Amino acid sequence: MSGLTIAQRTRLAHRPRLRKLKPLERREALWGLLFISPWLVGFVLFTFLPTVATLIFSFTNLNLSSSAPFAFVGLKNYQDLLADPQVWASLRVTFTFAALWLPVTMIVPFMVAVMLNSPSLRGASLFRVLIFLPYVVPFVAGVLIWQNTLLPDTGWLNEGLRAIGIQNPPDWLNDPTWIYPGLVLVGLWGIGGAVIINLAGLRNVPTELYDAAKIDGGGWWAAMRHVTLPLMSPVIFYSLTLGVVEVMQYFLVPFVLKNGTGEPGGTTYFLNLYIYKNFFTFQRMSYGATLAWLLFVVTLLLTLALFASARRWVYYAGERE
Amino acid sequence: MNKTWLRSTVLAVVIVMLAACGGTTTPTSTVPPAPTAQSTANNPNTPPPATPTAAAPTQQATASVVPATVVPPSEEASTSAEPSVTPAPTPVIVAPQSVAPGVTVVRWYCCLGAGDAPEQVAVETKAINDFNAAHSDIQIQGEFVVYAQAYDTLATEIAGGNPPDIVGPVGFGGANAFSGHWLDLTPEIQKTGFDLSQFESSTIDFFKVGDHQEGLPFAIYPSELYYQRDAFAEIGINEPPHKYGDKYIATGPAAAALNVSDGTAVPWDYNTARVLAMLLTVDKNDNDATQSGFDPTNIAQYGFEQQRDDLRGMGAYWGAGSLVGSDGSAQIPAQWAAAWQWYYDGMFKDHFIMDGSHFNDLTVWNPDGVPFCDGKVAMAENFLWSTYCMSGAGDNWDIAAIPAYNGTQTAAFNADTFRIWKDTKNPDAAFTVLQYLLGDAAGELTQIYGAMPAREELRQSFFDTLSSGFTLQKPVDWQVAIDGIDHADVPNFESPLPLNKSGENTYNESVSQINTYATRWDTTPSLDMGQQIQQMQQDLQTIWNK
Repeated sequence: MSGLTIAQRTRLAHRPRLRKLKPLERREALWGLLFISPWLVGFVLFTFLPTVATLIFSFTNLNLSSSAPFAFVGLKNYQDLLADPQVWASLRVTFTFAALWLPVTMIVPFMVAVMLNSPSLRGASLFRVLIFLPYVVPFVAGVLIWQNTLLPDTGWLNEGLRAIGIQNPPDWLNDPTWIYPGLVLVGLWGIGGAVIINLAGLRNVPTELYDAAKIDGGGWWAAMRHVTLPLMSPVIFYSLTLGVVEVMQYFLVPFVLKNGTGEPGGTTYFLNLYIYKNFFTFQRMSYGATLAWLLFVVTLLLTLALFASARRWVYYAGERE
Repeated sequence: MNKTWLRSTVLAVVIVMLAACGGTTTPTSTVPPAPTAQSTANNPNTPPPATPTAAAPTQQATASVVPATVVPPSEEASTSAEPSVTPAPTPVIVAPQSVAPGVTVVRWYCCLGAGDAPEQVAVETKAINDFNAAHSDIQIQGEFVVYAQAYDTLATEIAGGNPPDIVGPVGFGGANAFSGHWLDLTPEIQKTGFDLSQFESSTIDFFKVGDHQEGLPFAIYPSELYYQRDAFAEIGINEPPHKYGDKYIATGPAAAALNVSDGTAVPWDYNTARVLAMLLTVDKNDNDATQSGFDPTNIAQYGFEQQRDDLRGMGAYWGAGSLVGSDGSAQIPAQWAAAWQWYYDGMFKDHFIMDGSHFNDLTVWNPDGVPFCDGKVAMAENFLWSTYCMSGAGDNWDIAAIPAYNGTQTAAFNADTFRIWKDTKNPDAAFTVLQYLLGDAAGELTQIYGAMPAREELRQSFFDTLSSGFTLQKPVDWQVAIDGIDHADVPNFESPLPLNKSGENTYNESVSQINTYATRWDTTPSLDMGQQIQQMQQDLQTIWNK
């Protein structure tokens, strides 16, 4: 013990030890488990066990379009995966899109929340409602509305662009150069939830810190950089983590807009779309399960990388040293 | 492993799994409410979770069991053969009231095509109840699954060793997705002495696969050319011929555009159709597509529309063909390649066919999915099932013969029927039920499916009911549709595709690849179509080589 620092000794002293629960504590724990049991049962039945099942399937030849008897095939599906050019193409598509999508969907809700949080904004409640409103529209309906909004000839967006003098506006959904900005536009429509979360985070920043920054002569940018961003970093980290997970699952918008074809030119052939097609169009259940595990591992690695980086940039005011 | 790392890893795994459980695929930074099991099951766009989970989520759909009471047919029976827009909750199980020992239960699985709309399920339920009331030894149990989930559900039932006895109505495409699984009916036909003379022999042949008779005619959808009579009258040209083999009489601007003297009979082929289509394509300044001042960016009416659900079908209007060569390798029939080039040029060069940007415009150009039904197109090739929306096409339309290519007129053909599962334990009972569905029940069922009955004696009643749904200046010449049967594409464009080298059915993957080309061609100008067609052939071969 003598070689330990004071901090290490303190941490050891506070380390919880397993001990026998007292009757009252045991009763409380049982009640707690009882209350959480609906979720636990659902999780085990509909997520955990199916997850284990897909791991088993990924080592089999389960294919609903084949009459071959069910058999274990070892690592064949994983070998096929490594040799499948569409896997790498779909991963490339997913990462390319994420490179545009993530910054935009992180920054825009944050900036909107900053504006909504401004004391000089009048009618903030109304704006909050208006910004949140699209979020409650069923997403498929929203995507179909956007499909028409982005049409090259009769779409409202291009009509507007022509009205301001842009004579040849982009063909948002059919031009490989413009498809990602088009998809980002569709996605921005539903940022209401992210705005609310950012707004809640901003409301938790103590105003005394802004006052102190002002007294120290700091302007808006200094307050943003030295007060807002550090204190918002847990919210940003939360949004970023979920954003990464969700962009890896990106599926619905391109599926509806391009009918799952991956057009234009394969630019919407996201990994999750390829998984979907293997499962439900090609009926290759084992290979679909293998791809799903690939997606899981890639997403897990990205999330781990985020957690590893969090120590450097996420600030928790109440964190114990 | 460092404990902090361990904690982080566990936390990350839990976050990834929980985020995936959320059911959202929209990469917003927050998690929208997870869909309910029912809404997930009903949504064909619901993706698989990113976390690896077991396949076939459709099996989680709640089943509504309809008691075997007599349900009166809906007064507003749908005439749509397409998947319904307002499907019933799925699956609907219509079970016999009680099954005594020794009674054989035949499971009827629907709906890989038509049949899932609530009003259709009501009539199907009545058909089941009528049969069950009349038979003490055999009872039907109906399973009605919405079209969007029907393929997955059936595939899962098969994988689980629980296939139904009868499946239908199912078209060629749907049947081919499960090719190799259908019973050869020949022994049952011979054993029961089933009367085949009630059908045209050509329609019986459609269901032959080699020596096997895998289906019998029930509902057929020949193709025809729908046209707006007023559009032709307005520019002073004759309407297209109704009789197969007749020529087109070119008058006025049509004669001038075709470089023939007024009143000349010219072949009714795709060259003539192209010229007429260009004359009938009008911009907002009333210039037609043959005129130099024509503005293709401001079109008010298109001249032609091809049925574009399936590139193979589009090819089939130019002649029957197959993607499978005599040696089993992928090929593109020359007439299909010609059709696709004509279609592509029609969109992007001659501008008489709307391109994808207009076809996908659900507000202005194509709210019904069939542009002719919105009066924006002067001529359209389509199947008889497209009549479901023709009430929107105005009060003066009619149907004509399909144009010829290389001297042959081919009317691409759709047909739905009921098929018996190869491994059914009750082939005799299943065939009894099949005879009932093709026989006594066929009248009502074909009516609600909007399908022309294969049995000739039911046709007049079908067309009478169909006509009563339209208010037209002149009755439609339905004989054109009947004549189209003799010009059907044989082999059918939806013929089976080969197994790959691993023994897997490649049909769905091949069709998916073909659809990718369809989307690309619809939406991308300046493509080298020769190269595209060659690439498609290579892609198909790659799929078949797996």
